[in-house]
Amino acid sequence: MDKMIYVDNLRKEFKKVIKEPGLKGSVKSLFSPKKEIITAVDGVSFDVDRGEILGFIGPNGAGKSTVIKMLTGILTPTSGMCRINGKIPQEDRKNYVREIGVVFGQRTQLWWDLALRETYAVLKEIYEVPDEQYHKRMAFLNEVLELDDFITSPVRTLSLGQRMRADIAASLLHSPKVLFLDEPTIGLDVVVKENIRGAIRQINEQEGTTVILTTHDLSDIELLCERIVMIDKGKKVFDGALSQLKHSYGQMRTFRFELLSPDDIALLDYRGRFKLSDDDCSTEVKKASVCVKFNSSLVSVEDMISYTLQTVHVKDIEIRDVEIEEIIKRLYKREVAV
Amino acid sequence: MLRYLRLHRIFISQHLKRLMEYKTDFLLGAIGLLIAQALQVMFIGIIFSQIPELEGYTFDEVLFIFGFSLIPKSLDHLFTDNLWMVGYSIVRKGDFDKYLTRPINSLYYVTVERFCVDAFGEMLTGILLLSYSIPRLSMAFHWYTIPLALVVVIFATLIYTSLKTMTAAISFWTKASGHIIHMLYMTNDFSKYPVTIYNKAVQTLITYVIPFAFTAYYPASFFLTDKNPLFCIGGTVIAGTALFALALFIWNRGIRAYESAGS
Repeated sequence: MDKMIYVDNLRKEFKKVIKEPGLKGSVKSLFSPKKEIITAVDGVSFDVDRGEILGFIGPNGAGKSTVIKMLTGILTPTSGMCRINGKIPQEDRKNYVREIGVVFGQRTQLWWDLALRETYAVLKEIYEVPDEQYHKRMAFLNEVLELDDFITSPVRTLSLGQRMRADIAASLLHSPKVLFLDEPTIGLDVVVKENIRGAIRQINEQEGTTVILTTHDLSDIELLCERIVMIDKGKKVFDGALSQLKHSYGQMRTFRFELLSPDDIALLDYRGRFKLSDDDCSTEVKKASVCVKFNSSLVSVEDMISYTLQTVHVKDIEIRDVEIEEIIKRLYKREVAV
Repeated sequence: MLRYLRLHRIFISQHLKRLMEYKTDFLLGAIGLLIAQALQVMFIGIIFSQIPELEGYTFDEVLFIFGFSLIPKSLDHLFTDNLWMVGYSIVRKGDFDKYLTRPINSLYYVTVERFCVDAFGEMLTGILLLSYSIPRLSMAFHWYTIPLALVVVIFATLIYTSLKTMTAAISFWTKASGHIIHMLYMTNDFSKYPVTIYNKAVQTLITYVIPFAFTAYYPASFFLTDKNPLFCIGGTVIAGTALFALALFIWNRGIRAYESAGS
């Protein structure tokens, strides 16, 4: 197999000095510091094929950014190893980063006071992009990310959406083989999000760029990634196709029944009828409609519908698709055994 | 190497453009440093109005040493001022990440980002002091005096840059080291005057431990007296080279210890 990214038992520990509260505690820790080792990433292994878009997800503080920072050569792993594009990031950092692009949604890598156009001129020098290729590339990025409106403005004056597009364009200028995107859609409106997703897809399809994407916006994942790796508390908890996740853990189904008369709602008692706990069944009533979310591994879809039809008069039924968000929420909360 | 020079050119031209935008800021900064230096010169003037000479040094000679000390100091200030920010906040806040994701030397990258034009205030004072004192001194001029002075200035600047790099790099382990850089610069104040006026402890400190004496007094005393070239000039070259090698070593070790910050 042609693996672009190969991560083996990667581990990162941080030492933390524990301070007791107050000034007294601070003074005490100055003389006899109590150190605690925090394992941010605890033996994570996975690999990514050439040209794949991998969704790398997990709750806040799971260790996603720490993994990305090790893969991009910013942090040195405590143990384990990662090999990307045949290179070990920490061994020859300068050569390694030549072929990768990195975007951290939370902080820009551009120069605050430089006009955007000058920023790209600097990057052109840094990556030694030949003139002709540079012009072609800029035209392409301009088109895909719509940079034209603000290319002469200094970076500090850009809006968040503009800045993020600018950052992504900056990471693609040298046509990297691997693109690391750490929350590239954070805080953006739907139009910009769509624009950025389109750009990622286009780069991936046209140039076969391998992409690792971390995000909290699960529509990013649904629209871009075929496969996801999920980590929690520094450990990998899921690795597989998105469809597999839906299939294996998508027991939670949602039906919405619109009733003829709102008075009938009181007649429905799903939890009592099927003996379900609050977690496995919840209802939401709005005017004459009732929304029921239930665990389909405990109650069949058929039973659910027939019970409703027998109990009340139904005007309309809406059957919603399995929501990936729901599955992931349950996984994050450790309700689903993996 | 050529690439690095081209990058510097782009950045400096950007800085100069920005200068036009924030004229007042630049003028205030430069005037501030100019006044600070002028006060120091006045202070020396007051001392010499009471005494004819200081440990055998005349007013003009002391001005020459002082003026000389400002040249490498201002050059280092001009080009590597961002190291202060490394010590104070860049590492602590995790902003150092971005210097590691580009295929250029991180020390170069972090310093090229800032071009501290305030340093021109110091440089101007230095040049004024030198042009005032040199004609009034009976210094021996040889064909090699000017080129030698340039070489000395380069290595003296390297001493500054190296010491600043080392102290800034401490932040990779401790998260912040701005105060350590500040302490370093406190000892730098000793280097403006003839080393012989201090007691043995201070002399040893600024000659062998934090060799600021090689950025001004020793080379300046060679130009004044033509004596001891091996120690005065050679010492500067050796101190500059050795410290720079050590600084690069510490910097690179520091990068391995760098822990970033949560995002």
